[in-house]
Amino acid sequence: MAKKYISIENLKFLLNEVFNIEEVLESPYYAETDNEAVNMILDAAVDISDRHLFPFYTEIDRADHTFEDGKVTIHPEIIKYIKAMGEAGFIGGSFSFEHGGQQLPQMVTAASGAIMSAANNGVVMFTGLTAGSAHLIASFGSKELKEKYTGKMLSGEWQGTMALTEPQAGSSLSDIVSSATPTDQGHYKLKGQKIFISSGDYEGTENVVHLMLARIDGAPLGTKGISLFVVPKLREDENGNLIDNDVTTAGVYHKMGQKSTPAVHYIAGDNDNCHGWLVGEPNKGLSYMFQMMNEARLGVGLMGAAIASAAYYASLEYANERPQGRKISEQSAKDKPQTFIINHADVKRMLLFQKSVVEGGLSLIFECSRYADLEMTTEDETAKKRYKGLLDLLTPVAKTFPAEYGIKSVSEGMQCLGGFGYTTDFPLEQHYRDIRITSIYEGTTGIQSLDLLARKIMGTGGKSLMLLAEEVKKVTDEASTYDDLKKYVTALQEKLQDLQKVTQQLGGMAMQGKMELALADATLYMEFFSLIVIGWQWLKQATVAKKAMVTGNPEGEKLKFYESKIHTMRYFFSYELPKTLGLMTRLMDKDDTLTVEVEKELIV
Amino acid sequence: MKILVCITHVPDTTSKITFTNDNTELDKGGLQFVIGPYDDYALARAVEIKEQLGGTVTALNVGQQETEPTIRKALAIGADDAIRIDAEPTDAYFVAQQIAEVAKAENYDLIMMGRESSDYNGGQVHGMVGEMLGIPSLSPVMKLDIDKGVAKMAREIEGGKEYLEASLPLVLGCQEPIAEWKIPNMRGIMGARKKPLKVITPTNNDTLTTPESYELPAPRTDVKLIDADNTAELVSLLKNEAKVI
Ligand SMILES: Cc1cc2nc3c(=O)[nH]c(=O)nc-3n(C[C@H](O)[C@H](O)[C@H](O)COP(=O)(O)OP(=O)(O)OC[C@H]3O[C@@H](n4cnc5c(N)ncnc54)[C@H](O)[C@@H]3O)c2cc1C
Ligand SMILES: Cc1cc2nc3c(=O)[nH]c(=O)nc-3n(C[C@H](O)[C@H](O)[C@H](O)COP(=O)(O)OP(=O)(O)OC[C@H]3O[C@@H](n4cnc5c(N)ncnc54)[C@H](O)[C@@H]3O)c2cc1C
Repeated sequence: MAKKYISIENLKFLLNEVFNIEEVLESPYYAETDNEAVNMILDAAVDISDRHLFPFYTEIDRADHTFEDGKVTIHPEIIKYIKAMGEAGFIGGSFSFEHGGQQLPQMVTAASGAIMSAANNGVVMFTGLTAGSAHLIASFGSKELKEKYTGKMLSGEWQGTMALTEPQAGSSLSDIVSSATPTDQGHYKLKGQKIFISSGDYEGTENVVHLMLARIDGAPLGTKGISLFVVPKLREDENGNLIDNDVTTAGVYHKMGQKSTPAVHYIAGDNDNCHGWLVGEPNKGLSYMFQMMNEARLGVGLMGAAIASAAYYASLEYANERPQGRKISEQSAKDKPQTFIINHADVKRMLLFQKSVVEGGLSLIFECSRYADLEMTTEDETAKKRYKGLLDLLTPVAKTFPAEYGIKSVSEGMQCLGGFGYTTDFPLEQHYRDIRITSIYEGTTGIQSLDLLARKIMGTGGKSLMLLAEEVKKVTDEASTYDDLKKYVTALQEKLQDLQKVTQQLGGMAMQGKMELALADATLYMEFFSLIVIGWQWLKQATVAKKAMVTGNPEGEKLKFYESKIHTMRYFFSYELPKTLGLMTRLMDKDDTLTVEVEKELIV
Repeated sequence: MKILVCITHVPDTTSKITFTNDNTELDKGGLQFVIGPYDDYALARAVEIKEQLGGTVTALNVGQQETEPTIRKALAIGADDAIRIDAEPTDAYFVAQQIAEVAKAENYDLIMMGRESSDYNGGQVHGMVGEMLGIPSLSPVMKLDIDKGVAKMAREIEGGKEYLEASLPLVLGCQEPIAEWKIPNMRGIMGARKKPLKVITPTNNDTLTTPESYELPAPRTDVKLIDADNTAELVSLLKNEAKVI
């Protein structure tokens, strides 16, 4: 098995050199955290990964989980991991002190999360979901709910879930039908079924706490009638004993990847005895969920980049060790020993593609995390709005690019291993199975793309694009001070103009009332937009590297690190960024007969 | 219980080591430093004993300012305070002298160290400190329990185990499985910088050795694959090329 799954040096480069965590830490809100603490947290994340996650990556996959006699059984190492995370205080580290956290910047939790997800992505879901659901209670729940639940969840004793999806309501959450009937005892009676609920039930946890969306009887139709409830698997009776709360696991799905983590189908209130407690106000459930959405989406993007990182290092190690064939220039010399495959141009290309996706994707996620940190801590209202605007705009991209390009990246990683990549002797086939989910859950790519184009771009009248253009300009201004980066500055500026052109055309269609047509190729627009955004992130990293080379005279390994950054930027600008041309051709094409208006009878 | 744990600041075992200055100095650029692995076990057991019996754990390092992040990590793991003796730890005798000087004034019940450092692997400091303080020293200790002022220990010896008892105070060189390495928790990490770290000057600068030069082991060469049936070739290669038979 490969030894390396992520580059800590790269994470530190992003935190310290590219995104200047010092600036974030200066805020009084983060007064308790300093750079030394950040380094220790990363070390601890590596310790947890090396002890509880990475060694069991394959074993847990092969064991899968089982469902027998109504009981879900998971691999015992997962239980140990959750306990260790609880003891280390890693679940909810970014929560405020008041809510039992350590008030860590999201940039830091992104870095530690990247390490752990690269080590064993599916297992990290358990604690990620507990943190996410505890955050909902901490942010919107009553004092009683907070007291009863968040402590047990942050310690890892109780598992949390996000229970949104129903058989008829996946992408379309407005169609949720689970119901909640008020009682005069403070709780509601819940009824309904949820599907695909990750870590929704298993032996070895004391309790499972579902954060469940449902409609209060008589609530308005659509998204405005959805409320959020805490629905535990076991509830407390008058004496404080945990008793059954009429939440029954009906089954688990057999999945392609992330086999560590059961996706549970549960039924609530079959015996009319399922109690739930309202979180916050009635009918605000979806808006509470959406406030947590940025975090959850960035989390999925991070997972995509992290899995692609593990696959990259596994394929890099292999490419350095596998002798096969001879270089084209040496093909006549059959007596020469075979060369290592890393010396073939096509293999180098596949490796550079992976590096550009992994480190470009991570960079965007750190950028978004930084916006989130600054939005929360800045006092200046204009700046706050600006950070929020940027975060809202870029979050669907930071979810989708590492997922969609991550899938391609892992595929290229597998390709580097030839036939062995397709076997279970190497981890690539598992990376490939695991990463595939990232473009599906937490909003499919189709839904993210609609969110980007309709809500984030058209919905802001193009203002968000202007914010982005200003951010890009900061980078191009700095990059143009270095002669050898000027070429890339020009390229990026041209792409930004293309982006404006395409956006104007689609905006124009929308204004003429042709909304369906304007949004028909939202997913292509997403890819087009992502390539330009990642180009910006690469130029940003390359500029920082260049500056460090000019001012710091680095040597040896450090110098190689910076040179490799600049080289990968050049790769991205030459191989990936030009793909926008093909996408633009279609996006500028006004022919509406291909998808929107074609009769479905023609797709047979 | 008053416990002193001596920790080294050593390159992570996965680091790539190179030398500078005509091979007389370690090149520290780009190296990741950690608490010596054996010292980490000693620290973990010390913290457990403190949790069990009460008392204090002090972490000590002989080193320059660059070692402070490593010392902070010991504080994050559970030491109550720390001492850095501000000097380049040039050899085992020098280090032992410094530790003994501090220990004389403090009357520790236990002085716990790693069985050996992972950079220079001398395995000498605990013995020297014991001698300098006139108290017993034992190494490698793989199990340690304290019962009414008596230390009950186990050591692995050739072909078996040895069980020992000794009265405190003691100097111990520790190794696994004395405890499991502790992962510092968030609260410990955030609290570490508020714990006292005292910097003191060394008592003297007696160093008995100076390095002349360092040499890395020869790089590993390529492997040769030999067919399982072809034992004759294997024997010939082992004899003539590898010269091991
Ligand atoms: C392993 C796994 C774990 C999961 N974990 C959880 C969990 O913990 N909690 C939870 O609540 N849910 C969970 N889910 C559910 C997940 O969020 C949904 O599967 C996802 O949102 C898609 O919903 P769906 O499966 O109903 O697909 P559908 O909504 O039926 O979508 C099918 C296809 O149609 C497209 N589509 C749908 N609507 C539109 C539209 N309006 N315009 C254009 N295209 C559209 C989609 O993009 C997709 O390609 C999980 C799913 C899986 C597989
Ligand atoms: C710049 C530099 C130059 C050095 N040059 C030399 C050299 O030339 N020759 C050489 O032998 N070593 C050298 N060292 C290594 C350093 O001096 C060692 O820590 C010391 O020699 C003890 O090494 P040892 O292997 O004998 O320790 P061991 O006896 O193997 O260590 C046993 C235990 O003693 C404790 N201990 C050891 N060192 C320290 C310390 N510094 N602070 C606190 N506790 C400690 C630890 O608990 C350790 O596990 C150098 C170190 C540095 C940073």
